[in-house]
Amino acid sequence: MPVKQNRSEGDRADAFGFMFPILFFMSALIMVPVLGTLADSLYRDVTYLPRKFIGLENYLALANDPAFWKSLRFTFLFVAVSVPIEVCLGLCMAMVVNEAFPFRGFVRATLLIPWAVPMAVSGRVFELIFNYSYGAANFLLHVFDLSREPVNWLGSEIGAFAALVVTDAWKTTPFAAIILLAGLSSIPGELYEQAKIDRASLVQRFFRLTLPMLKPVLIVAFLFRTIQALQIFDYIYVLTGGGPGGSTTSLSLFAYNHFASGDFGYGSAASVILFLIAMSLSTFYLAGGAVRRTL
Amino acid sequence: MTHGGSLYELGLRCWLVFLLCVLSPCCEGGEPGRVVFSVGGAPNELDAWEELVKDFEKESGVSVELLRQPSDSAQQRQGLIVSLNGKLRNPDVFLMDVAWVGLFAHSEWLEPLRNIDPSPYFERVIEDVDTFRGELIALPVYMDGGLLYFRRDLLDAYEVGDFPSTWEELVSVSSKVQAKKREVEPGFYGFVWQGAQYEGLVCNFLEFAGSQGGFLFRDAQVILDTAENRRALHLMHDLIWKHGISPPNTYTEMREEQARTYFQEGQALFERNWPYAWKLHQADGSRVKGRVDIAPLPAPATGKSMSTLGGWHIGVSRFSDAKENSLKFVKYVASYEGQKKMILRLGWNPGRRDLYEDQDLLREMPFLKKLAVIFLNARSRPVIPYYTQVSDVSQRWINAVLADRVEPHKALQNAEEEIAALLERYTTK
Amino acid sequence: MTKEERIKKLVVGAGAVFTLLFCLSPFFYMILTALSRHTDFLRPETHYVVTFSHIHTVLTSQSIHFPAHLRNSVVVSLASAGVAVFTASLAAYAVTRLAFPLKTFFMLFVLALSMFPEISLVGYLFTIMSGLGWINTLQTLVFPYVAWTLPLCLWILVSYFSQIPEDLDRAGLMDGCSRFGVLRKIIFPVAAPGVFSTGLLAFIVAFNEFLFALMLTTDHSARTVPVGIALFQGLHGETPWGEIMAAATVTTIPVVLVALIFQRRIMRGLTRGAVKA
Repeated sequence: MPVKQNRSEGDRADAFGFMFPILFFMSALIMVPVLGTLADSLYRDVTYLPRKFIGLENYLALANDPAFWKSLRFTFLFVAVSVPIEVCLGLCMAMVVNEAFPFRGFVRATLLIPWAVPMAVSGRVFELIFNYSYGAANFLLHVFDLSREPVNWLGSEIGAFAALVVTDAWKTTPFAAIILLAGLSSIPGELYEQAKIDRASLVQRFFRLTLPMLKPVLIVAFLFRTIQALQIFDYIYVLTGGGPGGSTTSLSLFAYNHFASGDFGYGSAASVILFLIAMSLSTFYLAGGAVRRTL
Repeated sequence: MTHGGSLYELGLRCWLVFLLCVLSPCCEGGEPGRVVFSVGGAPNELDAWEELVKDFEKESGVSVELLRQPSDSAQQRQGLIVSLNGKLRNPDVFLMDVAWVGLFAHSEWLEPLRNIDPSPYFERVIEDVDTFRGELIALPVYMDGGLLYFRRDLLDAYEVGDFPSTWEELVSVSSKVQAKKREVEPGFYGFVWQGAQYEGLVCNFLEFAGSQGGFLFRDAQVILDTAENRRALHLMHDLIWKHGISPPNTYTEMREEQARTYFQEGQALFERNWPYAWKLHQADGSRVKGRVDIAPLPAPATGKSMSTLGGWHIGVSRFSDAKENSLKFVKYVASYEGQKKMILRLGWNPGRRDLYEDQDLLREMPFLKKLAVIFLNARSRPVIPYYTQVSDVSQRWINAVLADRVEPHKALQNAEEEIAALLERYTTK
Repeated sequence: MTKEERIKKLVVGAGAVFTLLFCLSPFFYMILTALSRHTDFLRPETHYVVTFSHIHTVLTSQSIHFPAHLRNSVVVSLASAGVAVFTASLAAYAVTRLAFPLKTFFMLFVLALSMFPEISLVGYLFTIMSGLGWINTLQTLVFPYVAWTLPLCLWILVSYFSQIPEDLDRAGLMDGCSRFGVLRKIIFPVAAPGVFSTGLLAFIVAFNEFLFALMLTTDHSARTVPVGIALFQGLHGETPWGEIMAAATVTTIPVVLVALIFQRRIMRGLTRGAVKA
C-alpha cells in the first residue's frame, strides 16, 4: 500500500517532467496562436493605422463581402465533390490491394508515392499536366478523341475546379486507401468464408459484411479528409492562384491573401470562421463517438 | 548497458548538438553594406536587371545581390509585404507597382530618398504618387499609360479620317468599318479593350470616364455616382450590347494579352492597351506589322482624354541595413544613363522626361515622342493604402454592368455604399 | 472457377492496373519532363531528346537557389522531426506508464489541437515570430513544425509503447534507474523501429509543409523546397517546365525512395495514428 502511494506521487512528479515539453510546444505554438488569432479578429489591424478594437465589425464586414461568400461556397463545393470521390475510390483501391495477386506488395507500395510527394510539388506537376498547350491532359483527350479542341483547364472556372479535384484526389485517394486497407485487413477472413458457405454473392458480401465492419474506419476517413479538405491551400496557390476571377479561392487562400496584404484583422476573422467550421465538425464526431460508446 | 542503449545515447547527443547549431542565429544575411535588390518579372527582364546591377557594381564598387521574385505581381506584392511587415533588413531596394506605393508609404515602410532631384521626372507622377508627407519616397523607373492602338491602313482604306478624338467618333468609325470588314472577316470587331473582372477593368473605366470622371474624393467620402461615370458605364455597356463593336467575351475574358492577340491577328480596328504591345505588334510574324499607329485615347463628352498611369517605382526599405549604398543604387537606376540602358535592354519607358528627347532613342523608337504626350496626361489611380479593397468593389460592380446585370446608376450607387463602409473601417483612427 | 470468381479476378486485375497507373503516371511524367529537352514532347512532331541540362541548371544556378532551399528543408525537417519524436516519446511514456490526473483530457486536448487549421495559426504566429525577430530564419520553422507534427508522433508512439510490457520497466526501476533512464535505456532500444518510423513520418510531414514556410520565410536563407518550387520562375523564356520538373524530381526521388524502402513501417505508423484517433 505505502509503495503504491509513493509510486503515484513519484509518478506525478515524473509525469510533470515528461509532459512539460509537449505541453509547452502545443500551448505556445498552437494554443497561443489560435487564441491570438481569435483576439486579432476583433481588431482592425492593418499596417498603416494604429490597432483599434472594433469588436465584431470584421465579421459583419465578412458577411457583406461577396468574395468571402464565394470562397465559402467554393470550399464547401470542393469538399462535397472531392471527399466522397476520394474515399470511395480509396475504398476500391483498398479492396483491390487486399486481394492476393502477383506483385501485390509492389502495388501497395506505390500507394505511398503520392503521399510522399510535397503538395506544392505535385501541384506544379499537375499545373503542367493541365497546361493548355503541352499538358498531358489535353494530349490524352486528343489521343482518345474525347474532345474536339484542347480544353483550357486552368483558364475556365469549371476546368480549374476539375483540375483541382483531380490534383487533390491524386494525393489523398491512396492515403485513404492505406487507412481503409488497415481496416479491411482487420476483418477476420473466417467471416468471409462463412458468408461464402452461406451462398452470399459478391455484392451481398460487400454490403452486408465489409461495409458494416468498415464503418468506424470509414467515418474516421471521411471526417479527417473533410477537415483537411476544408483547409485546402497548397495546390490552389500553385495551380490557379485562386482564379480565374477568384472562382477557386478557398477560405484558407482568402484569409491568406488578406494576411499577405497586411490586413491581419480581417484575415484572422476569416480564419476563425474556418476554425469554427472545422471544430464543429470534430466536436460532432467526438460527441457522436461518446454517444456511441455510452449506448 | 546494451549496445542499443549506448547507440541511442550517442544519437541523443548528436541531436542536441545539431539543434544548437540550427537554432543559433548563424548564417544571417550577408555582409554589411551589401544591397539586396528584390525585383520580379519575366526571366529575360531579370537578365537585363542582372546586367544593370553588374554595371553599377563596376562603377561604384558597391556589392548588390539581385533577389529574383516570381513574375506574378500578386506574389511579388505579398512577398514584399511579408518582408516589410516583418521589419526584415533585406531586401534593401525593391520595385513597386504604382498601385502599391500608397500602401507602402502609409505603412511607413519607405525610406525618404534624400539628395535626389525629382525635377527630371514626370511632375504629375512625382506629385501624386511619389511624395508622402512632403518627402520623396519613390521614383518612377518605368512609365506606363493606357493608349489607343489603331489600324492606320484600315482607316485610310475606308477613308474615315484620322484617329478619333472623342468616344462618339470612335463608335461611329468602328461601326462603319466593322460593317464593311465583316463581309470579309466575320470575326472582326471595332474595338477591343480590357473588360474582365480585374484591376485592368478599373484602368479602362477611368479612361472612358476621362479627366472629370473616376473616383472623386470629397469630405472624406468617395463619390462614384457622377454624370461622367454614368456616361462612361453606359458607353462601355453599349459597346458590347448595343453597337456590337466589342466582342461578347470582353467582360469575361478580355485582359491585356487577349486584347493584344485579337488585334495582332488583324481582327480589330482599335485596341486599348499599354505601350508594351507596340513592340509585339511590330515584330516579325505579326499580322499587323507596319500597319499600326498609336494615339492618345479619345476624350469623353465632358473633360479631357485621360490615360491611366501604370508602371513601376523604385524604393528603399526603411529597415534596410545599407541605406547609403541603397540610395546610391537608386540614384544609378533612376539616372539618365541607367534609364537609357533600361529602355534599350528592357523596353521600359523611362520615368525621366528628358530621355524622351534623346536623339539616339528617338532614332530607334520614334514613337517615344507620342508616348511622352500620352504620359503627360497620365493620371494615377487613388494613392490610398486601401486602394486594393476599393478596386475590388469597383471591379465587381463595373463588370456587373458590362455583363448586363445591373444598370450603371444602380451599380455606381451600390459601389459607393460599399466603399463608404470600407472607408469607415480603414480611415478612422 | 465460378463465373463470379472469374469476374472478381478480372476486376481485381483491372483495379490493380488502374491503381498503378493512378499513382505512378504523374510521377513518371514529372521525371520524363525533367529529362526532356522539349516540354511538348507529347506532340507527335516533337522527338524525345534526353538531356540532363535541366537538372544541371537547377543544381548549380546561383540565382535559383535550389540547393539552398534543399539544405534548409533538410535541416529544418531533421531538427523538427528529432525534437518532435523526443518530446512525443516523453509524453507517450508518461501516458502509457505513469499515473497522473486528466490523462484523457490531455489526449482529447491533443486531438482537438491537431484539427486546428493551419491558416488559423499562421496569422498570429507571424506576429510572434516577427516580434522575436525570427522571420526568415530556420528556427521560425522548426518550432511550429515540432508542434504541428507532435500529435501524429504522440499517437503512434503511444500505440507502440503500450505494447511494450511494463515488466521491462520494473526490471530497470528495481535496478535503481530513474524513469527517464528507463525510457532511454530500455524502452527506446526496444521500440527503436517504432521510434524510427515516427521520426520518418515526422520528417516527411515537416518536409512537405507549405503554408508556414510561405508566410514565415522570404528568401533563400530560410525558404524550403516546397515554397521554392511553387515560386520557381526559372532563368530564360517562358515557364521553364523542364527545370521545374527537374527540381521536383531531385526533391521527390529521395523522399519516394525512402518511403518505398520503409513502406511497411510507414504504413503501420500511419494506420496506427489514424486508428488511434
